Amino acid sequence: MGVVVALTMMLAVASLFVGISDVSLSTLFGAGAHDRAMRVLLVSRIPRTAAILLAGSALAIAGLVMQIIVRNRFVEPSTAGTTESASLGFLVVTIFAPGWPLMAKMLVAAVFAFAGTALFLRILRFVPLRDVMLVPLVGIMLGGVIGAVTTFFAYRFDLLPSVLAWTIGDFSGVLRGRYELLWFGLAATILAYVAADRFTVAGLGRDVTTSLGLNYKAVMTFGLALVAVISSVTLVSVGSIPFLGLIVPNVVSLMVGDNMRITVPWVAALGALFVLLCDIVGRIVRYPYEIPIGVTVGVVGSAIFLYLLLRARGSRG
Amino acid sequence: MFKTAGGLVALATVLLLAPSASAQPIEIEHAQGTTTLDAVPQSVMVTDWAAFDNLDALGIEVIEGVPASATPPYLAGRVPADAQAIGSLQEPDIEGIAAADPDLVIVASRSRTSYPMLSGIAPTIDLTVDNHDLIAGVEANITRLGAIFDREERAGELVAALDAKVEEARAAAEGKGTGLVIVTNAGRLGVYGPGSRVAWIYDALGVPSVFDDVDDSDHGGDAISFEYLLETNPDWLFVVDRDAGVGGEGAARALLDNDLIHETGFWQNDRIIYLDPAAAYVTMHGYSGLMVLLDQVIAGYEDAS
Repeated sequence: MGVVVALTMMLAVASLFVGISDVSLSTLFGAGAHDRAMRVLLVSRIPRTAAILLAGSALAIAGLVMQIIVRNRFVEPSTAGTTESASLGFLVVTIFAPGWPLMAKMLVAAVFAFAGTALFLRILRFVPLRDVMLVPLVGIMLGGVIGAVTTFFAYRFDLLPSVLAWTIGDFSGVLRGRYELLWFGLAATILAYVAADRFTVAGLGRDVTTSLGLNYKAVMTFGLALVAVISSVTLVSVGSIPFLGLIVPNVVSLMVGDNMRITVPWVAALGALFVLLCDIVGRIVRYPYEIPIGVTVGVVGSAIFLYLLLRARGSRG
Repeated sequence: MFKTAGGLVALATVLLLAPSASAQPIEIEHAQGTTTLDAVPQSVMVTDWAAFDNLDALGIEVIEGVPASATPPYLAGRVPADAQAIGSLQEPDIEGIAAADPDLVIVASRSRTSYPMLSGIAPTIDLTVDNHDLIAGVEANITRLGAIFDREERAGELVAALDAKVEEARAAAEGKGTGLVIVTNAGRLGVYGPGSRVAWIYDALGVPSVFDDVDDSDHGGDAISFEYLLETNPDWLFVVDRDAGVGGEGAARALLDNDLIHETGFWQNDRIIYLDPAAAYVTMHGYSGLMVLLDQVIAGYEDAS
């Protein structure tokens, strides 16, 4: 744990010095120091690094919470229709109330994300035997249907490029004043930690939960709300980052097991570290242009996702 | 005497028939081959707004089919009310076109892949323009359409007017410093470089660019950060406001209004030219759209000086 946190801190500091403007210790504090470097640091670099840390940890936590609620290791917001629902919500509010403040738009997106995820859970009740592969497939299909609805309306209202831009995660537009909603993600992460034991119990099933004196439905609703808030704040602020919430909790589970009280800090730290790494790579590879984080994480993430899926199948013989 | 008279009649007949000489089959060379038309088309379907723009500028009023979406606002009043909607810009409604049986179908950049299918249904031409030489490509299309519809004279006027406008913009831009064309979309920035749909600002107007290589491989241009604008610091910034193009008016200005951009010369000197988004993003190869954009560029340079 200490190593991961130390590594994340190191990369976060390094991230502050990666970019087009000349920001270095000498331009900040050296003899010829000018305030432009400091301004770039305050307006652009620190907000971007903060956004990465917040989005990375929150999305990984959202994946963890979903996996426990659904009791399946292969779900996360982007494989359960949550991201697509948030996107649809954002589109709807963009069409009907373009003038609303971002906070109100985000709330609408969150309501849609909540409804979409609840629909997913409802559909799962009809999935026989809860096949480990079938659950994410159902989620991906549901996401496909919701995505098709979004595409249809985006097409009718000439908003397709905007929807494309939302769905590709990208930190290049982050500046001071344009990422602060992500602090809600941190709040959700802390709440997930506080409620970790309840989620762990709820993960054992309705009967066990009820017999232990917990309100199963309340815990589930709370979990869904956390996931919806995290999905929508990240979507509205930086776009969607696929697979993150899936691979990080799985890797952590392989490393330290499944007690959520222990795994939450791990998942948060590794999520931040992973996104940080991918973003730095995306900023360097085609310098001075950028490769969106959605692309870098998508490439690495889908490979790991496949590995995890095949591994699960293999272990079942 | 009678002989002479007969000769005159014969001559008059020839002269009278002369204008209909263009009713002879004409061969049109275009981006995907040669198409033969038996006569001047009396019904045309366009799958591309730039083609509509050019036909409209030529004064041709036989357009019976237009794309179903993304009508540029500057053309909206020109579209015939009874025109049939024939699918999206990327995917024309092949069956609808087949049922209408037009004399001519025009495809272009976004719809060009449907040429093989459409050319089997009706005479079809592909008016795709190479962005590396955009102005010449647009002029070639106007000339080509002029020949098809027997409007050579009007086509010549349009080409001359476009040339003159380009020259005017070129003169306005001369010696005014470097420029950069960006696109804003959903809070992100992209740059447009050589080979892009607005490359004529660099090529045809001679505005020196601030970079050597931008690979405009996707439609939004290459993703950049605000720091990129701060450091490249072009003297002039041309903005294709994709958000405004879909109704979010002034979205680009709000996006650029931040602490980093306030440091740049183009912000401080108010040298930002907002291009008509539909003309720059949707039609881009249409005569009227280009004229709108060129006028905006000229006005932008003149207002600032």
